[in-house]
Amino acid sequence: MRVGIIGVGMTAFRPSTPEYSWKELMFEAASRAYADAGVDPRTEVDSFVTCAEDYYEGFGIFDEFTPDQIGGALRPVCTVTGDGLQGLANAFMQIQTGLIDIAVVEAHSKASDILTLEGIIEHGLDPIWNKPLGGHPFLIAGLEADAFLRKTRTSAKALAAVVAKNRKNALRNPLAAYAANVDAAQVLSSPERFTPLRALDIAAPADGGVVLVLASEAAAKRRHANPVWIRGIGWASDSPTLETRDWTQAAYAQLAAEMAYRLAKVRRPATEIDFAEVDDRFSYKELQHLEAVGLAKKGEAGRTVVKGGYDPGGALPVNVAGGSLGCGNVFEATGLHRAAEVALQLRGDAGSHQIDGVRVGLAQSWRYIPSATGAVAVLGAGQ
Amino acid sequence: MTFLDRTTDARRFRQWEGNMEADYIYTSGVAGERFFVALRDGGKMLASRCVACNLDYLPPRLFCEDCFAELSEFVDVPPEGRVAAVTMAHLDRRGTPLSRPQVWALVTFEGIRGGLVHRLLVPPAKARVGLAVRAKLKARGDRVGAVTDIEGFEPVRS
Repeated sequence: MRVGIIGVGMTAFRPSTPEYSWKELMFEAASRAYADAGVDPRTEVDSFVTCAEDYYEGFGIFDEFTPDQIGGALRPVCTVTGDGLQGLANAFMQIQTGLIDIAVVEAHSKASDILTLEGIIEHGLDPIWNKPLGGHPFLIAGLEADAFLRKTRTSAKALAAVVAKNRKNALRNPLAAYAANVDAAQVLSSPERFTPLRALDIAAPADGGVVLVLASEAAAKRRHANPVWIRGIGWASDSPTLETRDWTQAAYAQLAAEMAYRLAKVRRPATEIDFAEVDDRFSYKELQHLEAVGLAKKGEAGRTVVKGGYDPGGALPVNVAGGSLGCGNVFEATGLHRAAEVALQLRGDAGSHQIDGVRVGLAQSWRYIPSATGAVAVLGAGQ
Repeated sequence: MTFLDRTTDARRFRQWEGNMEADYIYTSGVAGERFFVALRDGGKMLASRCVACNLDYLPPRLFCEDCFAELSEFVDVPPEGRVAAVTMAHLDRRGTPLSRPQVWALVTFEGIRGGLVHRLLVPPAKARVGLAVRAKLKARGDRVGAVTDIEGFEPVRS
């Protein structure tokens, strides 16, 4: 049974949203998605999936706080404590059971409410082996960037090219929080943070909400919808133990992609996939992820980005909407935002950052520091 | 305030500042206990051994990531390790700029799966991958059986 995306709703991504509570952000994204799909959540949606983690929210048992603002009170609701793409996989499987016709996936960030963001991220470190050492959690990204650059002989210039590309791409995305005309030289002269990473290599936090409406093929047909098909989806986790995981490549993304490609019957991703939206919350992650999902050979992503191969007009447009460097880090909503952007591109609804003639797109997520978990979705347009 | 009528006067936004009280003890577990007692009392590091996979794990654990066997054997970690990845942190754990950057490393050991992420006790200019290092421990009387009993890793030949 095929499953398609029949509605996309997003709020603008912004550095802060003082006029809205996090519930109101969800309500706005959901309202937009239901309007886009032409679906009444109170009578037509069979299941609601939210994606969140208590510590980012600031209170316990997040899943109990969700139903009303997405139209799901007294209906089947569940929360995936993971990235939005993991929630998308969940909703996809629920529809595949045949018990659910229409499902909704929601993810959001109200990071501006968090007064001690470093402390919250630090809670993800192993409390016995890592956290007592008292370092900033991003030093893990610094170490991993060092290992990746060294292994693949990727230059710091390549990281700067990723940042410049994505911040510039965001200029054509009216929802992006951090659009800017940044060039590589500015990135390379920004303050050092976690060597080899500099201040501009690290995506800044943003608030925002994303909601997708999914339907079975039969339900989509009944509604005369023109869905973007979820052709394949997969996810995987590497060891949570920092010390024993692979520091040079994103093994979780490779395995997630293999699972998604198997379902989608994609055999040669580099030729079959027209564009990609991947996690770039630290600049090197975009390159590492492209290599992991087989869209670049090992060690080649850095050279390709410097030559413009991932520009909107390049052979493989990557993060055309601006990525997290341009749109802001929306935490657990990051992967769902990627899927939403891919869906809009495939519908031809991406506005001024629309790429011409795209048929198949890839969305990839990572669950941020200090995780080694990721998901991949392959979406396709047409019959 | 509804969605039809949004506040545009930023002076009127209300908020409540709160925090989440969350204090715990984190038990070291069986494998951690072996490691930390050996570190405190013997000044040495232990890895747990998977006989079936011929793998030694650091940090030690009671189960093999590869074959899921329960592990009960422990072996000594070689005293000399190597820097496998290095970074200079310019911010402290709360995000405040540091006057002098901290050097951090992933240290690995010959024949051991894993290693330790810890401070590298060299000036930033001397921090490099491949450097041969050993753990610098606190004095016997100051050790409590925690990862902080290791002050960091220092070059074998300085």
